[in-house]
Amino acid sequence: MAKAETFSVVGQRVQRIEGFEKVTGDSKFIADIFLPGMLVGKVLRSPFPHARIRHIDISKAERLPGVRAVVTAEDTIKRPWGAFFADQYILSVGKARYVGEEVAAVAAIDPDIAEEAVDLIEIDWEPLPGVFDAEEAMKDGAPLVHDDKPNNIAMTLDIERGNIAQAFAESDVIVEDTFQSMPQWHCSIETIGSVAEYAPSGKYTIYMNTQTLFNARYRIAAALGVPETDARIIQSAVGGGFGGKSCDDNNALVAAVLARKARKPVKLINTREEEFLAGCRPRVYMKINVKLGFKKDGRIRAKQVKVIADNGAYSAKAPAITGVAAMRHDTCYKYTDVKTEAKLVYTNKVPTGAFRGFGNPSAEWAVEQAIDLGAHELGIDPIEIARINAAESGYVSPHGNRVTSCELKQCLDMAEKMIGWKTKRANKAPNTGLGLACTVHVSGKRHFGDYDGSSATIKLNEDGKALILSGEGECGQGAHTAMCQIAAEELGIRVEDVEISRADTDLTTFCLGAFASRLTYVSGNAVKNAATNVKRQLFEQAAEMLEANLEDLISRDGRVFVKGAEGKSVTVADVARARLFRHNGAPIVGSGSFDADSVLPDSTRFGNESGAYNYGVQAAEVHVDPETGQVRVLNFVIASDCGTVIYPMGAEGQVEGGLAQGIGYALTEGLQFDEGRPVNPNFSDYRIPSMRDMPPLKYAFADSYEPTGPFGAKGLGELNMDPTAAVINNAIFDAVGVRVKNLPITPEKILKALRDKEKKG
Amino acid sequence: MKMNIQFSLNGKSISRDVPTHRLLLDLLRDEIGVTGTKEGCGTGDCGACTVFLNGKPVNSCLVLSGELDGAEIVTIEGLKIGPELHPIQKTFLQDGGAQCGYCTPGMLMMSKALLDENPNPSEEEIRFALAGNLCRCTGYAKIVQAVQDAAALLRNR
Repeated sequence: MAKAETFSVVGQRVQRIEGFEKVTGDSKFIADIFLPGMLVGKVLRSPFPHARIRHIDISKAERLPGVRAVVTAEDTIKRPWGAFFADQYILSVGKARYVGEEVAAVAAIDPDIAEEAVDLIEIDWEPLPGVFDAEEAMKDGAPLVHDDKPNNIAMTLDIERGNIAQAFAESDVIVEDTFQSMPQWHCSIETIGSVAEYAPSGKYTIYMNTQTLFNARYRIAAALGVPETDARIIQSAVGGGFGGKSCDDNNALVAAVLARKARKPVKLINTREEEFLAGCRPRVYMKINVKLGFKKDGRIRAKQVKVIADNGAYSAKAPAITGVAAMRHDTCYKYTDVKTEAKLVYTNKVPTGAFRGFGNPSAEWAVEQAIDLGAHELGIDPIEIARINAAESGYVSPHGNRVTSCELKQCLDMAEKMIGWKTKRANKAPNTGLGLACTVHVSGKRHFGDYDGSSATIKLNEDGKALILSGEGECGQGAHTAMCQIAAEELGIRVEDVEISRADTDLTTFCLGAFASRLTYVSGNAVKNAATNVKRQLFEQAAEMLEANLEDLISRDGRVFVKGAEGKSVTVADVARARLFRHNGAPIVGSGSFDADSVLPDSTRFGNESGAYNYGVQAAEVHVDPETGQVRVLNFVIASDCGTVIYPMGAEGQVEGGLAQGIGYALTEGLQFDEGRPVNPNFSDYRIPSMRDMPPLKYAFADSYEPTGPFGAKGLGELNMDPTAAVINNAIFDAVGVRVKNLPITPEKILKALRDKEKKG
Repeated sequence: MKMNIQFSLNGKSISRDVPTHRLLLDLLRDEIGVTGTKEGCGTGDCGACTVFLNGKPVNSCLVLSGELDGAEIVTIEGLKIGPELHPIQKTFLQDGGAQCGYCTPGMLMMSKALLDENPNPSEEEIRFALAGNLCRCTGYAKIVQAVQDAAALLRNR
């Protein structure tokens, strides 16, 4: 669909609104917050993956000069909490279930004393046998992580739409294989931290670098046993989120408990090692068996997946993530008969959770390779298989997802052209190959209660500048800039004349926060509605001043005009002043809300989960060195359908940054465990891509317009993390005819696969 | 053990009694209150804490305060030229080289170190010089662009 409107601010190449302080070092991240009398916190963590706590003696630690508080579970209400299942405690109650779990904590006047005090806490441990593999954990007789969860199963899904047996019977070609994804860490360069204060009235104020303030408030209030109003959360600048800072960990809670006991503000910042052990919750790793049935002409007739997902010791958001991995991809291609079985399993390892992609990178790693297998089996070009099956506007998935805009086919055309798919396939160089994959993501997701909305308030100041009050927050992705552009566009003022507040649960209205690629779409709509409200008040006053009809007014560049008599105008500042400084005066201020037209999925997970769906295609050209197994990505292309691009530099940054995380997921990252103990929790052994690891990239955005989006926009942030690993593995297969089935794709695994292939002859 | 050290920080002389084991990064941030320099890993792997020590870029998380007597230190706060942004700051802003901005101070200091030595670096040289500075947001493309644009600005000054 062609763009229906032309815009003066939306889509313009504006700079990041908070960019200046970022390049001067003036941004105040969580560690840059200093409060008078502030203490330093330090956590004692479980050294065992599974162990009973017989006794804790904190007396020596408490006596150390400079120590102001030592806390254990006895200082908490021992009420379990969690995003979907309440199964974790602030500090271990009775036993610890993974290496790194918070057992006790100290607040002291300096970090040296805090560290010494932690060493003085004495714990009488009784180590217990643990479970470290999801399949082992499900066996009868395996040690139980939680006594009330038989066979360590946290959740089971078993869903069939259509008639899967008949659909496979009617398939001409059936492919089946099993793929293992891996625990990927967010590795935001800033770790999780918080600064907590406690007022004797009973109110906590917690500065956090969280990306979801109101969800944090809800969980923190529940775990501390106070009403939401008594847990005020203020967002600092956030040094990267990617899902890892969505408050599934105990950092802020431990700081709050320390602050209450010490009656002083407490700062608690994770070290990099702590961040790996027990900070952000890494990607849920899954073993996915996928079976696809095709008709001869390439149409997908049947799809079945069986997922075994590792939950780690506590649940965080893994229940929702496992559901996404099992079902979301059915919104990418058109078919009707699907079966999905999934099990989420507790183990004695760090809890897994939300990471950019939310189950999709595991699902697409498996399903997009199975589609490639099918293409080879059928002898049809993989890009044609994608074309034949691609979703379109109007498609309704077997699970009820309703697609209001979809330019997947346009993305296929763009990707094909950018990488030179046809020419390169026809002139294949030795050990060089092409691969591609399609991707789908949501623009918001209805799963935290029956709400996927946002709200915002805009104040028009008497100098004609607008301030947006929003509780969604900014975690580095650029959402605030997009919101300012949307408000400026609607109000008819310059983007330089729009500011946005820091997110603060006391001062801003309810917002769910940054997840599910939702802010541009959901929050953008709320901001636009608030601006429409403000604009109506602005025009009412201006109509009086210009002696014109309301409907004849337009605003542009900070002035209100009469249509057709453009010489007749007043500045927005003059209107705002005139509305305020008069009898019965009032400031111009307006709120707006938006709740997506989605459905809370029912007990069988049926229901349109999001207001809009984003699509994309990635393709890569790789070279594999058969002597060393080394993979070199020679070229990469990305075509994205995110509707109207509001903030081009931000959108491009999401594409480029998504690819970097996808490359790391495919080739270099992954935490390794030895009996539940992470063995590489640092940046020298856990390798995220550096500047030298990035391939040449070309990208393009589809000409697309989402009818329910603000100025036609929808989400983008996660889309380009999702398919990258499958793209690269499909290209490796095209280059040398082998597939590594478990991430990451290391040179050792490729060499082994090549040797196995030779042996088979 | 505490010792008295005197050093220059962004052109101002500073005298402090500090524990000799205090890291330069913590000295700057927690004792002097100059917080533009960031900690990303504490093990010298990410480059977020890069500052200039006697004209050379170092990871301030690996330098002990005991080594600083008589030293000249420049941090991100000393990068501006008077009230003006340094060209590398201007191009990071204009090209979108910062997303969350947490790696940015270290990235800017290392970029300046590169451009001080090599006013006309190739893309390959930029990627080699900045490979020790990790960024998780940007995928680096706009950072490379910003360094190239800053080099051009500096050459044309």
